[in-house]
Amino acid sequence: MADVADLFDDWAAALARGEQPDPVAFIRAAGDRGDELARLMDRYLRTRPRPDPDPETVELARAWIAGEAPLVRLRVRHGLRHDDVVDAVMTEFALEPGQRPAVKRYYHRLEAGQLDPSRLARPLLDLLARMLGAQAGSILAWRPRPLDVAPAFRVPLDALAEGPRTALAPPAREPEEDDEQVRALFIAR
Amino acid sequence: MHDARDAEDALLLERGDHETLIAAYKDVVVQRCLVGTRDESGYDVAQNVFLRLWQELRRGKRYTVPYRVVVHKVVDWTLKEHFAGGRTELPLPEGWDPADPVDPYTDVDDSDLDALWADLPAGDRDVLDLRYMHGLEISEIATRLAKEPNAVHQALHRAHAKLRRMTGDG
Repeated sequence: MADVADLFDDWAAALARGEQPDPVAFIRAAGDRGDELARLMDRYLRTRPRPDPDPETVELARAWIAGEAPLVRLRVRHGLRHDDVVDAVMTEFALEPGQRPAVKRYYHRLEAGQLDPSRLARPLLDLLARMLGAQAGSILAWRPRPLDVAPAFRVPLDALAEGPRTALAPPAREPEEDDEQVRALFIAR
Repeated sequence: MHDARDAEDALLLERGDHETLIAAYKDVVVQRCLVGTRDESGYDVAQNVFLRLWQELRRGKRYTVPYRVVVHKVVDWTLKEHFAGGRTELPLPEGWDPADPVDPYTDVDDSDLDALWADLPAGDRDVLDLRYMHGLEISEIATRLAKEPNAVHQALHRAHAKLRRMTGDG
């Protein structure tokens, strides 16, 4: 088990470098002293002055506020088409041509905010981060903002109980055949 | 140190520069939510914190406390509701006032790193600045300050001890 002071020090220094360290991994590494480390981290985050936001984060926040999908903003910024990302996933994971429609469908759902990015398989998350020129933490942190509903179409409050993105049910469609290998990339956890 | 950032935040609020304001607090919100939940659900909580902050900014709400206090209180509140099984995506109540002394969420830590470490020797504060503001490696700090690496470790140790005492673990 790693020492709490060393873990805190490594995490805080990584934060200072703008690396978006995963605090959960550090807390787990502290074993039965995870509570102590979490208290240190939380206290530190409260007392530390906020950093200057980098241009990428401001751009993603702007997209989020505008109701755009942050992943789409990143992709467009790099001049990539939806199909370019799909092609890269196909190549990286040596998928068969017949699996392309499934990759395309899952990636579309990811961009639309219908898939939770924290459930992506790590190699896929890393690939997207490389392609989109973003830190993995940025992909995890920004989800499409729930869109406002016009008064004429306002959803009753009770209907929102299942979550902002699921309040409006998608149109009924024929069930699509799933692909277990692709699914395991996009919904790994 | 907080004073300078508080002034910048006030200016951003005045200008209506909401994207920069939310971006500025993105890391602290995400990190605090992950530390609080200790799993990936922290990202969901963080999303709802952003949503609540933005809803209030859009409504034009003004605060009598620095914006960082608002951010930390919204994080506290949202985490608390998350653990209570509440709907953390809902807007905050209209009358919510972070400066209200009877508000149940007024327990905001207003301490500042500079103040916390103010009584440490000046050499220690230089080490802390390079390590925790600039993220330099121990060896780089030692070289830059012409110290032995062990002296850098000792300075960090003293700072950790102070932080620990604040959390009741020291």
